Amino acid sequence: MTAPFEMSDAASLGLALLFGIFFGLSLERSGLGNPHKLTGVFYFQDFTVPKVMFTAIVVASTGLYLLSDLNLLDLGRVYIIPTFFWPQLVGGLVFGAGFVVSGYCPGTAVTGFASGRIDALVTMAGVSAGSLLFAALYPMLEGFYLSSDRGVVTLPSLFGVNHWVVIMALVVIAGAMFAILERFEHRLGKG
Amino acid sequence: MKNDRYWSPYITGTLLGLSLLASFYAAGRGFGASGPFSLIAGVGTNVVAPGYAGGLKYFSRYLDLPHPLLDWGLFLLVGVFLGGLAGALSSRNFRLMFDKSASMSVRTRVFTAFGGGMLIGFAARLARGCTSGVALTGGSQLALAGWVFVIAMFASGFLFAALFRRYWS
Repeated sequence: MTAPFEMSDAASLGLALLFGIFFGLSLERSGLGNPHKLTGVFYFQDFTVPKVMFTAIVVASTGLYLLSDLNLLDLGRVYIIPTFFWPQLVGGLVFGAGFVVSGYCPGTAVTGFASGRIDALVTMAGVSAGSLLFAALYPMLEGFYLSSDRGVVTLPSLFGVNHWVVIMALVVIAGAMFAILERFEHRLGKG
Repeated sequence: MKNDRYWSPYITGTLLGLSLLASFYAAGRGFGASGPFSLIAGVGTNVVAPGYAGGLKYFSRYLDLPHPLLDWGLFLLVGVFLGGLAGALSSRNFRLMFDKSASMSVRTRVFTAFGGGMLIGFAARLARGCTSGVALTGGSQLALAGWVFVIAMFASGFLFAALFRRYWS
C-alpha cells in the first residue's frame, strides 16, 4: 500500500491532533509565540522566522520528493495548493501588513495564547472577524477570488526542470541566507 | 533579543519540517491554521444569527456539512494549542501577560492586535491560506502559490515595518 493512507474519520482527526501537537511544540520552542521575535525579521533584529520557516521547507520538500521518487508516496494523492495568482499576491501583501500590525499569524497567535498571551487571543478574535468580513463581502469579491486560476502549478513544472534542481537551488539559497544572517546577528550581538 | 529559553531555530525548523512531512505522507495534506478561524466564524455566526449566516455563500462550505466541527484543520489547531502549552509549561516559559512594545498603550495594543488580526483573517481567505497553509505547506510542495505568497508577505512586511517604525523594535 502506498501512502497517503485511507483511514477512518476518527483516525484522521486523531492524526491531525497529533501533528498539531508537534507543530505547536516546534513553534513555541522556536519562540514563535512571542510577537517580538515574530516581527523581529522585519526590523532586522531577530531572524527566527526565516530560519525556522526555510529549514522546515527544505526538510519537508526534500522528504516529500524523495518519498515520491522512491515510490513510497503517491504525490498525485497529496493535496497541493492550486495557484490563483492575483488573489494570492494581493492576499500575501495584505497578510504581511496584518502580520506586522498584530505581531502574529494565525498559527503563531494560537501558540502565543498557549504561552499565556492575552493579546494573542485578541488577534485570534480579529482573524475570525476578518474571515466573517470576507464572507460578508464575498458576493463583491468572488470575481477576483476566482480569477487567474492556473490550477496546480509547481516551480519545477513552471521552469521545466527536474524537481531536484529546484530543491538544490533552495538548499543553496537557504544555506547562504543562514550564513549571512548568523554573521549579521553575531555583529548585532557585539554592537 | 537572543533568548536561551528557546531552542535553536534549526532544530525546531527540522522538527517542524519532519512533522509536516509525516502529515504529507500519512494524511496526504499539509498544515493550515487560518481555515479553522473562518470555520468558527461561520459556525459562530450561524448560532447568533442563523438567517444571516445561511445567506452567506462563502460559509455554505462549512454550514452545509453534517458535522462542520469535525474538521481536520480544527483538530490540527487544537493540537497546536496543546503542543504550544506543553512547550511553554515544560520550559517554564508560560506567563500570563498582555504582550506589547514598551511604548505602546494597552488600548493601542488591543486595537493593533484585533485590527491586524482582521487583516490577516481577510487576507488568508483571499489567498486560500496563511503562513502555514500557503507559505509553509505550499512552499514545501514547491507550489507556485506558496512562493508567490511568501514573497508578497515578506515584501509587504518590510514595507509596513518601515512605515510603522519602532513599532515592535
